[in-house]
Amino acid sequence: MRKLIALLAVALLLISSGKKELAHTKFKFADWKSLKGIPEPSDIVYDSATGHCFIVSDHGKLFECDRQGNIIKKAKEEGQDFEGVEVKDSFIYVSDETPRKVYQYRKSDLSLVKVFPVSWGGAMNRAFESIAYNATKQCFLLVSQQPIVIVEYTTDFKEIARYPFKGVRDISGARWHKGNLYLLSNLDACIIKCDPVNYEAKAYYQINVLNPEGFMFDDSSNISITSDDMQRLYFFKQLPTIQ
Amino acid sequence: MKKLLLFTLVAVSLGTTAEAQFSEFADNPSASQFTLSSEANTLQIGGRVSGFYETRILKDDSNYLKKSHNGWGVKDFDMDFLGKTASKFVYEFHISLIDLVSAAATNNTANPANSGIKAAYIQYKGWPVHIKFGYDKVPYSQGSMSEVWGTPYWSHANLYGGDLFSRRDFGLALNYRFMKDRINLYAGAFSGMGENFFQYGNDASGTFEYIGRAEFSYPAKMKYHIIDQENSPTPVFRIAANARYADKTQPKGSSINVDAPDASGAYGIRVISGKRLAYGFDGIVKFKGFSATVEGHMLQLKPTDTLDGLYNSTTRSKNNNVVNAGGLNAGLNYNWEKKHSVFSAMYEGFNANDLYPGTQEWLYLAYAYKVSGFNSVFKIEYYKPLTEDKVQNPLHYTDQIRVGYQIVF
Repeated sequence: MRKLIALLAVALLLISSGKKELAHTKFKFADWKSLKGIPEPSDIVYDSATGHCFIVSDHGKLFECDRQGNIIKKAKEEGQDFEGVEVKDSFIYVSDETPRKVYQYRKSDLSLVKVFPVSWGGAMNRAFESIAYNATKQCFLLVSQQPIVIVEYTTDFKEIARYPFKGVRDISGARWHKGNLYLLSNLDACIIKCDPVNYEAKAYYQINVLNPEGFMFDDSSNISITSDDMQRLYFFKQLPTIQ
Repeated sequence: MKKLLLFTLVAVSLGTTAEAQFSEFADNPSASQFTLSSEANTLQIGGRVSGFYETRILKDDSNYLKKSHNGWGVKDFDMDFLGKTASKFVYEFHISLIDLVSAAATNNTANPANSGIKAAYIQYKGWPVHIKFGYDKVPYSQGSMSEVWGTPYWSHANLYGGDLFSRRDFGLALNYRFMKDRINLYAGAFSGMGENFFQYGNDASGTFEYIGRAEFSYPAKMKYHIIDQENSPTPVFRIAANARYADKTQPKGSSINVDAPDASGAYGIRVISGKRLAYGFDGIVKFKGFSATVEGHMLQLKPTDTLDGLYNSTTRSKNNNVVNAGGLNAGLNYNWEKKHSVFSAMYEGFNANDLYPGTQEWLYLAYAYKVSGFNSVFKIEYYKPLTEDKVQNPLHYTDQIRVGYQIVF
């Protein structure tokens, strides 16, 4: 009995040392669709110029799809472990996590233009899971999964600065939308709205998706989220307004 | 008991200050594993360091005063090198430095099944069927395939911890996944000598052990993680069946018991001179931080020699030339992420040989406080034999507690 009491005392003492966190607003999906032909979808980005979206896969593949995730075109040149995708002007930028590279594809025909090496010394499969373009600071952002660091890069991928980020256990996606950076956490299943300059968290939205890996905003600010393990595309409405 | 309470208090104070003490683990961008990249190769270097204070409550037995289990214990001093090439090869070399040192210091007599090498293989993932060649865990038993460091426990349960069947071996393994990876099939041919392969090489029979496993997961694929770290918003489950067979009937003049005396394990059933069939099932379900596991195994052993000790001198009319063994294990876990806490409980019962009297039942209770996930974690485990097999596994203790810390880098 004394042993049991000692064990419980340890547990209670450790539990009582927890920290307070910002409230999470619940945000549930409206519909979902299977992503046929796209194994382990890891990120998605919307291109307002064409109305299409681009989806990358852990298998090193880049797909051009319609808004519902149906494949229109597939890039011929493949990588190893595509985890992040972004559209800027007439190019698509893809983060290849394992070899630490960024691929630049031409949007019109998905031909490979250039490969940029980037640097990350952490775990092989906890590196740059996401890529986004910060229009306010006019730089690319690569975000590591664990530990979370937002790394700013010039448009030819020379490193500018690093910003450690706390508040969630990992980051699996990043997207720029209407002057703010939004991050997606896989382990904590939430979207985080961040300050565009110092990247401090401003709001948390709890989502009901298993293994969310990437997300996009469409022209109406509706959100779609890819799930790797489920191989699905989840459709959400606009983020709720926080009072 | 006083020593245990004192150590518990020390552990509590360490645990509550550990976040500051190990803050570089969470804040330093280069913490955790380290990765080197060249044009076509990526190499990750990682490892694990862990240890505990262990205490056993000894029985009131004046003839047994040995307290070697009341003191410090090293769990892991491990290094791991994992590489990937652009041509879709994967290779890994995982070594246990403490096992290497122990083996060298004792001429490999301390624990021959722990050679110091935990994985050494190459794998090709360029085809739909992945091919692995070398030494690694064999695809049998969910509990064995799951990493214990990712749980509050300090060691695998007895049922799948290596005494009834080997957990690692040298051989060729194939893996094929389909239906969004929800169906996962394994097949392999291994030496059959298990963890003792490096000690003895292949046995004299010249035969393999064949292992197969089929898994079905829904609604998503699942990894071999027992704890629901994702706090799954929808229920996810996996069920699996697996089997393994070896005919190690020895040629005249050879005997496993003589040529490879350590290979047969604590109950003499891990490798036998004769035919050996093991089959089992397992399952796991995860939902909102809860996870429940279950697995069962049956072994049918047919030693060639009718005088083999496994028959316990029973007549053929009683034993039918078959020795049976097997058991069941069930566990329940809760990951309270907000409080960085994981609670686990597990029960198991098994019979290592039905021709000997007695069975075993065990209860495990454990708690983990995650300072930085399971990469930096305080763990306490309570372990109790509920029913003792006084013939095959006589015990001098009634309870055991382990309290310690683990760092994964």
